[in-house]
Amino acid sequence: MHRTAEVRPLQVTASRPDTLRVRLMLAMILSYLGMMAFVIYSARHPAPAAIASTIFSPAMIALASCMAVSVILTGLFVLMRHGD
Amino acid sequence: MRMSRNDTSLLLAIACTIGVGGSAYSAQPESQVRQADGSTILFFVVFAVLTLLISFWTARRATSSSEYLTAGSSISSGQNGLAIAGDYMSAGAFLGLSGAIYASGLDGMFLAASYLASWPIVLFLVAEPLRRLGKYSFADVLTHKLRERPVRILAGSSTLVIVSFYLVAQMVGAGELISLLFGIGYTPAIVMVGALMIVFSTLGGMRAATWVQIIKAVLMIGGSAMIAALVLVRFGFDMSNLFKTAVSNHPNGQGIMDVRSFGLDGVATLSLGVGVLFGTAGLPHILMRFFTVSDERAARLSVFYATCLIGLFFVMLFFIGFGSIALLRGDTTYAAANGVLFGGNNLAPIHLARAVGGSILAGFISAVAFATILAVVSGLLIAGASSAANDLVVGLSGRQLTERTRLQVSRISAVALGVLGILLGLACEGQNVAYLLALATAIAASANFPLLILAIYWDGLTTRGAVIGGTFGLISSVALTAMGPTIWSKVLGLGPAIFPYDSPALVTLPLTLLVCWLVSITKAEPEGDWRPTGPSVARYVESIGARAQSAQVDRLGP
Repeated sequence: MHRTAEVRPLQVTASRPDTLRVRLMLAMILSYLGMMAFVIYSARHPAPAAIASTIFSPAMIALASCMAVSVILTGLFVLMRHGD
Repeated sequence: MRMSRNDTSLLLAIACTIGVGGSAYSAQPESQVRQADGSTILFFVVFAVLTLLISFWTARRATSSSEYLTAGSSISSGQNGLAIAGDYMSAGAFLGLSGAIYASGLDGMFLAASYLASWPIVLFLVAEPLRRLGKYSFADVLTHKLRERPVRILAGSSTLVIVSFYLVAQMVGAGELISLLFGIGYTPAIVMVGALMIVFSTLGGMRAATWVQIIKAVLMIGGSAMIAALVLVRFGFDMSNLFKTAVSNHPNGQGIMDVRSFGLDGVATLSLGVGVLFGTAGLPHILMRFFTVSDERAARLSVFYATCLIGLFFVMLFFIGFGSIALLRGDTTYAAANGVLFGGNNLAPIHLARAVGGSILAGFISAVAFATILAVVSGLLIAGASSAANDLVVGLSGRQLTERTRLQVSRISAVALGVLGILLGLACEGQNVAYLLALATAIAASANFPLLILAIYWDGLTTRGAVIGGTFGLISSVALTAMGPTIWSKVLGLGPAIFPYDSPALVTLPLTLLVCWLVSITKAEPEGDWRPTGPSVARYVESIGARAQSAQVDRLGP
């Protein structure tokens, strides 16, 4: 049985690096920029008293979400099949 | 909206915390600062002896340059993850971020989130190619595609500049911290840390530095968890009670629950964020960690472990910071009437450890802070030695070194850098070192990161483009940081700053990419000195994978 014929060289060019890798990176950058935008907005517009009285402030939740996204995206990438 | 001078100072004070915990300790008279007690000295001696034993144990194995500089690529992914996390859990992160939260609330957590967000970028973009193509330094990846001599000289120069700034900042912070924690003078503190650092790095190399980072990371996480748990016990595990007490104790009131100072000037915050987000992927002592594991899978896993551990550590710092506000503010045992802690706000976790766990826990935490400084400066020294031996000497001499010579040059470089660190640390006593760290991160983001990314993912990068672009990034980031508010106005006292932001990465990073691209597409490589451009690293790596897969199937046969 010849299985060599089934193998094709990977058609990768430098201008098209691993798509998922790029998507995950963009997701991380967007998540970080989103967190930053929210933090800047909430600094200029303090939360109403009703929200401020809850345990965690909106800014805390924004920071925690960004940190959680960092860990989750890293985990997703590690769990992917890489073929090495 | 322009940021006020006070806001800028706070931002810089927090920015400096990741790398060093010094510079603010002299805020109070030394007589009011706690002197070393028996438990602190005992733990310190235990750590000093332990680290020396590790360096002697690993010295027997460090007989080749690969063993000395990269631990023979035999570190497991879990161990490397702990060591990377240890690099990030510097004394500055531990003491500085806690102190920043104590001073102004949630502002301190903004940088923590930014540094954590930089790790996926490192993983997605550089970790695997570095491991696959690099041997000793990130210049190995560049020279796969570009001509060796000019690129090695450039990479070696930028690495040594970054390492030097980091090293001086760490030494000044270490001198101030150790002199306060152990009640000794600044000069003996610097000499003691420097001597231990040189012995440790020269003998044991990367394996010793890695093991000390691992031990320190475990102790740091354990100590932080203990303090955080004891704080929560004090408040009956009721976080709303903790936050309410903190808000009522702090003069900013509800403001400590928001990120106020970073929110006032969006451009300054964005520039700082860009520097942090991409600067990590250009820091030599971080990149070097990927050469210590066996393959790309281990590199990926180690980043994942490190990200989880760093995230966990920052969460505990959050509780330590708010616990400090709730328990230390207003307590005359630990803080002055204006709220500033004795010895400076950066001693918040050590005071808190004493408040919730007594002198034994405080002594343990002080000694862990010392071990942290030692581990971080040793890693920096080895990264600098590696670059000096493999990039600068090879680039300047134009010859490959023999194994024996490479090891000798590495060790001599480590000693020379260590002595330089001691001398500069002594010369910079009392200096504000925040700008050195801002500069180091900005250079890493502006000079190293663009070259690495273009070399890995773009076919068109030429040697000339890399050298001109990299030199531009190096000079522009140094110049613009010098013209920023901290150095120009505060350190040099030359009046209003020429460049309005302390971190220039938002300007210099895109400009460096643009210069590399423009020079590469407009200037053809001449024959002779400049090597014709090879394929990008990404394509080369894929072709290796395809060839390996093909060979494996061929071996299966009919």
